[in-house]
Amino acid sequence: MKIKKIAAAMSGVVAVGLALASSPAVAAASAEALLRAKCLACHTETDAGFSRIADQRKSPEGWLMSIARMQIVHGLKITDEERRAVVKHLADTQGLAPSETEGSRYALERRLNTMEAFESEQFTQMCARCHSGARVLLQRRPASEWEHLVHFHLGQYPTAEFQAFGRDRDWLGIALKEVVPDLAGKLPLESEAWKAWQARAPQAVDGEWSLSGHMTGRGGFSGVMKVSAGKAQDLHALSFEGRWDDGKPMAGKGQALIYTGYEWRADLVVDGTPMRQVFALEDGVLRGRMFLRDHDEVGADVVASLQRDGNARVLAVHPAYLKAGDEGELRIVGSKLEGEVGLPQGVSLLETVRRSASEVVLRVRAEAAARGVHPVTVGAASGGSLAVYERIGELKVLPAYAVARIGGNGTPTAKVEARFDAEAWDAGPDGQPGTSDDFRIGVVPARWSVEPFDEVAVRDEDVKFAGLMDEASGVFVPGGAGPNPLRRMSANNVGNLKVVAEVQQGGTPVRGEGQLIVAPQRWNNPPIP
Amino acid sequence: MKNTMIGGALRRSARAAAVAACVAGSAMPAAAANESLALQPGSEYLMVANYPNNLNVVDVATASVYKTCTLPDAFGPGLTQISPDRRTAYILNNRFGTIYGIELDSCKVTFRAEMSLADNERAKSIASFTISADGKELYAVQNPTTINRDHYRVGEPRFVVYDSSAGLDARPVRTFPAPRQSTIMQAAPDGTLYLAGQNLYEVDVKTGEMKVKLPIRDWNRSTHAPLDVLYIWPVQTPQRDFTILYTTAEYQDDKQDMETAEFQYGYLNVNLLTGEAEAREFGPLTEIYFTGLRSPKDRNIIYGLLHRLTKYDIAEGKLLQAVELEHTYYTLLTNHDGSRLYLTGTFNDIAIYDADSLTKLGNVQLPGGDMSLGTGQVFVR
Ligand code: HEC
Ligand code: HEC
Repeated sequence: MKIKKIAAAMSGVVAVGLALASSPAVAAASAEALLRAKCLACHTETDAGFSRIADQRKSPEGWLMSIARMQIVHGLKITDEERRAVVKHLADTQGLAPSETEGSRYALERRLNTMEAFESEQFTQMCARCHSGARVLLQRRPASEWEHLVHFHLGQYPTAEFQAFGRDRDWLGIALKEVVPDLAGKLPLESEAWKAWQARAPQAVDGEWSLSGHMTGRGGFSGVMKVSAGKAQDLHALSFEGRWDDGKPMAGKGQALIYTGYEWRADLVVDGTPMRQVFALEDGVLRGRMFLRDHDEVGADVVASLQRDGNARVLAVHPAYLKAGDEGELRIVGSKLEGEVGLPQGVSLLETVRRSASEVVLRVRAEAAARGVHPVTVGAASGGSLAVYERIGELKVLPAYAVARIGGNGTPTAKVEARFDAEAWDAGPDGQPGTSDDFRIGVVPARWSVEPFDEVAVRDEDVKFAGLMDEASGVFVPGGAGPNPLRRMSANNVGNLKVVAEVQQGGTPVRGEGQLIVAPQRWNNPPIP
Repeated sequence: MKNTMIGGALRRSARAAAVAACVAGSAMPAAAANESLALQPGSEYLMVANYPNNLNVVDVATASVYKTCTLPDAFGPGLTQISPDRRTAYILNNRFGTIYGIELDSCKVTFRAEMSLADNERAKSIASFTISADGKELYAVQNPTTINRDHYRVGEPRFVVYDSSAGLDARPVRTFPAPRQSTIMQAAPDGTLYLAGQNLYEVDVKTGEMKVKLPIRDWNRSTHAPLDVLYIWPVQTPQRDFTILYTTAEYQDDKQDMETAEFQYGYLNVNLLTGEAEAREFGPLTEIYFTGLRSPKDRNIIYGLLHRLTKYDIAEGKLLQAVELEHTYYTLLTNHDGSRLYLTGTFNDIAIYDADSLTKLGNVQLPGGDMSLGTGQVFVR
């Protein structure tokens, strides 16, 4: 009912945008003035600031959602540009310290396949059944504000206490008497981490960043991202040049805005496709996820480091594995890659193909004796590793559980595909998979297929209707939306599938399995799931 | 574990929900031409609301739409109760916010009660209202929230009594505290009101006193898991059974292990004519039903409905028959002699089944869209 309408409207609030027009000092002053002009119609000015607003800290996306709700539910009138300025100001002055987002960044990075697991069953059932638990953990409030939030929930969504995990208990009583004190203790407004973070010196951003990434269903890539000052405070221009591990070039250009001194949000166009970066900046390292703006299920894990003195790092080795007895080309990616290359014992250097401060390309050979995972260093730069394996003993499908969503077919919602990696493991010297001497080899090419997950899926012919798995890439494209007259009870093209990856090892197949739910369209897609 | 299993079964029902959403999009305005058509005394009718703002009256004998009234304001949930004199349809609508009385002969709105009692209040009734057996009073449970300028405050639920002749600006004549999480209610001829929620309560409508008639949350059985009740369909059955389905699980032994427990369906039942109450399991839980209905002909038979229409022998605890449906239906109704079953809810067609053989006899197409979660009623004028 109502919950759907608001949530659907919230879906239009796609992401934290860039405050393009504002100039440095004016921005803060005008944001204050904006708050005064826009919010005081309902909020009041107190010693601490504006009522309700002053007593919360949250991520940029969290602030965006709150203000969007003021528009959708309460009728606040504010332009997109004004809203950007207000979100920027609130995230800067009432944000979260980097350590306060640890463990919950997947929600900001839009890793919507994440299976959450919380120690507290009560928290899971009370607060993480309609939305992610991360949405809660990415906020800080005093008890009075957690209490207001509970009242908002039940006032706005009166059916909350009648739903599963609501009707079996005194939902409101538990929320007020148990959850509120618990959250106020664990997620308080005031924290040492936030105090320390506010006192820190601004971080350097402009310069050349060496970048390494891996996109599921496509492969690894690396390159150099140049960052320079933009037209406003915390705004930066960026350009990226690099290549995929298969040799194809890759280039992009865009802009990044830094919130709270470290929350990097960039919009860029890579080879014609709009993409977004959600990174955290700390000590000369950017880490996070880069994904397609219009298909955020398609994304890459990314790490980058700034070329500057004292920031020598190996980010990754592409590829990060080699078969014992084989020869191959390795690309070591990092910053300040100066000095001698430190290869594992039993891995011999055949040729240095080329090298720079951000990339060292070598031809090497791995001996059988080198089996295992070993560090790779370049001068003072460390952080990379190379796995030398004998055979693939085990194959894991990642993610082990994924959700794709039907769409298209004349409906306004696009299909949401699912992408998988096959992660190979060496069973170690004992030859037994699942023992402590196993080691991870890395993501390997595999042959992909889907099977019915259970008897219901067999009966409903889910494999036939739910979509198509690309045999080579592990990319699954779900079926069209809407009722399908060919299906039992004219059901739509949902399904429950087993995802199978297979590699050949000396003539014997090694199989890995995962689960894929092909679900109906998402009727709501807020900035924080 | 219990919830995982029910969740698994419900996952499939998401298909049906998505299908229904498409149909709602094609809703047409109601045909208003027959609004002044009077109902015929002695004739049996089925009334049911649907999108965008229709209250349909179906003639049971000819299985056709007799008339359609246009409802004011927003739709939802379209839950109806028929007055004891069979002249007025009461309907909870306007997003759970308003109860209307509609004179069926003329389609005129004769009664209107806003659940919210103050300007800065928003109150909803979660399917929680009915009419007294003498037709003089209307009962509801309201869940209020005070909307302050910059914050909400959830208030205590209240049990309210209206004078059914209060007209278009009805205000409660009596107000009492009510338990949170109250849902459907039915009134007995002796004046007692039965209200479902945390437990099934017997309510004294004069004093507001509530006694547990059948425990739900408070039913601590060492042999069974706590009941789960999601039942928001107050069907006024011909034999005056107030029936509510529940799910539970029976443990194998005193270890109370959910992994090995057997999932079961059961019902809570109050016979409104006698006040007799019972709660019992009637079969294994193999699929989800939104509604169940005891046969007016045979008290040992209970039907279940959602993806399939099923029939159980209560004493034997056995599924007797099940038929596949063209799509899901939510709410099961019966005619007075118990020979026909009417499948309503979700789409905009009513399916008619023979109550003995479960063979399909036909459909009634309604003007407009989705019947949604609403509850219709069958009555003889
Ligand atoms: C038209 C009235 C109105 C205006 C204008 C308004 N608010 Fe609100 N605000 C409310 C109400 C009502 C609530 C309490 C209900 C809720 O949380 O949505 C609220 C709550 C909040 C909260 C607390 C939300 C939470 O999750 O606990 C924040 C933060 C907030 N407002 C920020 C703002 C900001 C910033 C502005 C100006 C840009 C603003 N509001 C303008 C009515 C308003
Ligand atoms: C019935 C479903 C439901 C449950 C249960 C639920 N939430 Fe929410 N919650 C929502 C919805 C819907 C929103 C989005 C409101 C909006 O439009 O901004 C929300 C928003 C939030 C927000 C963001 C508010 C803001 O503006 O900053 C927080 C934080 C939150 N919930 C915490 C909780 C906590 C804590 C609990 C447990 C006590 C909880 N939720 C339980 C549905 C739920």
